[in-house]
Amino acid sequence: MAEVSPVEIEQFQQSAKELQKKVSNKIRYLQTLLNAVQAHDDRLIYQLIDGENYSHQIMQAKHGTADAGNERLLNDVTAQISQYLSINLLSYLKETYPFFYFQQTGLGNYQFFFGNWWDRRLFGTLDILKVAFEFDEIEYQKLKRAFELEQENKRLNSDQIAVISQQTDQLQALINSQAERDQQKEKIRQQLKQLAQEKVLPWEASKIRENKQQLVSQLSELTDQDEKAQKAYKLIRESQKDVLKLSKEDTLIGYEKQSIVAKFGSFENFEARNKSLYRDYIADLIATKGRVKIENE
Amino acid sequence: MKMSDSLNKTVTFQPHQTKQTSPSPATLSTTGRLMSYNDQLKAGLQNGIGFTRLLDQLISTTSTQELFQAVADLTAYHLDTAYIVFPQQYSRSDFYLIFLNRLLDLHQLSGVVLQSSDQYHELYHEYPGINAAGYFVFKFPENDPSGAYYIEKNSQLELFYLDFTKHLLRFNSHTLTQLLLVDYYPKLDHQNIKKFATILLAIGNYLKRDFGFDVDFGLLDPINSCVYQISEPDLPTTIIDQLFVIAAKGGKMLEAGADQSAVLKLDNDVTVTIFREADPQQAHFGEWLLKVWDPQQTISWFDVLLHYQFLRDWYLNNLPSLEIKADLQYFS
Repeated sequence: MAEVSPVEIEQFQQSAKELQKKVSNKIRYLQTLLNAVQAHDDRLIYQLIDGENYSHQIMQAKHGTADAGNERLLNDVTAQISQYLSINLLSYLKETYPFFYFQQTGLGNYQFFFGNWWDRRLFGTLDILKVAFEFDEIEYQKLKRAFELEQENKRLNSDQIAVISQQTDQLQALINSQAERDQQKEKIRQQLKQLAQEKVLPWEASKIRENKQQLVSQLSELTDQDEKAQKAYKLIRESQKDVLKLSKEDTLIGYEKQSIVAKFGSFENFEARNKSLYRDYIADLIATKGRVKIENE
Repeated sequence: MKMSDSLNKTVTFQPHQTKQTSPSPATLSTTGRLMSYNDQLKAGLQNGIGFTRLLDQLISTTSTQELFQAVADLTAYHLDTAYIVFPQQYSRSDFYLIFLNRLLDLHQLSGVVLQSSDQYHELYHEYPGINAAGYFVFKFPENDPSGAYYIEKNSQLELFYLDFTKHLLRFNSHTLTQLLLVDYYPKLDHQNIKKFATILLAIGNYLKRDFGFDVDFGLLDPINSCVYQISEPDLPTTIIDQLFVIAAKGGKMLEAGADQSAVLKLDNDVTVTIFREADPQQAHFGEWLLKVWDPQQTISWFDVLLHYQFLRDWYLNNLPSLEIKADLQYFS
């Protein structure tokens, strides 16, 4: 082994000390987390796993006290952390959002349905570590739009249903007027026959031709309508299906709106509540500290 | 009650033309013939007396077992003989009607009135409250000697099939729906329709309990374990969607139940469940079925339809799919 200089020894000891400090810091971090888990101190766990979010939301700090290095240690156990935290969180959410029905899709993964009614909509997923809903954007926008339309005294699909109903009425009228058309056609055919039999004087020829042309085009227009009437039955059946689909969606959203109004008073309050969910939940954890919710592990 | 006064109209029993036990009168002396004639008369009268005893039993017994025996014996009785013909006779339908009437009497259930028609020389049942709309008799299928259909005379709708020999009773959900919910509902007091259905149910229950009949109550069955089979077991879910929409308009929410079932909670803890049989061990695995639950087990699918406009609309609009199946062996 080569001779080691005192400076090098000094450096070596210095770096060992540095590393010890770093590792000790990590051990301390993990030890604190372990203690928090053992003590069922979910609030502390939230603070430890995402300091940035915690200080931002709870302390309203401009600069978060992120401990990114230590938090990265947990990268391969986030599913387990989520799973653990989900238990208290879900019982809180079930109270706060009684109309959301959660369903586990994997370790620490949850999706939720809106409502307990027939064919309720899958409404999003739950981000347990962030204490936030990831709403299905399309479904959420429909709900939001339905609340906006309330002022116009309309449901989400009112206009569309009205348009389809109007079309259906027209089609039905076309079907209903079949007998009338048959009569008209018969009359025109008689007239054409008469024209063909009449003796035509040379100076009347063009007038007669014009007359005949007019009758022929009337007849073809009526035949066109007959064809449309033939297809009308099928179209009406399809429209009925469309209307059912739209009415069903309106009914679903109607229940969703009722649920939100019953719990939050308005959609705005609901949105505000969603925004402050993390803060509200941590506050709830602080308020219930010492009261262990889940007795047995 | 009035006897039928013309044989042509209600003849039901043929005299024994063929069965002769004594030697042919042609081979006898005059005295022998006289005695033989006299014996035949006596036998015929005895036969008649026997009949009157059975009729007495049918009319006045207080035992349900004797009542049942009386109707069974009377139905098979040959009252006329080659020597004595009784010109005024009741028909088999009449005996059946008397039997049901008396059975209900013995159970202290009133509400069916046994009437006689001068015009048609027959007995019939009428029900106070719905008698303006029709009356009821039995009809006998030609190629089935033991069975009988209880029909509404005007519409000829067969409400149930009754067979005393096989101890079998089958209600027809199709005709009950047509008569009670389509025909009667708009024009009669709903309480009276309910009373009528209650009596039909009671008839089924008494035949089952008193005589061990095998009974299919159809849509009248109020027992919670009853599973109603619908006409289209492969029900399109759009029909359940329709119920969801129409129920919301009727102020009820169709809920999502376990295993993709649909649950409708009605008033007084009554629950209707539409479900797909998920158990491969069950007879109707994979089929859509209907169930009605209530704490007292007194509410049937029929009761629910009678009570809720939106359910009735839904059911009647989708009859080809939803109609409760009737036993195809007896109802075509």
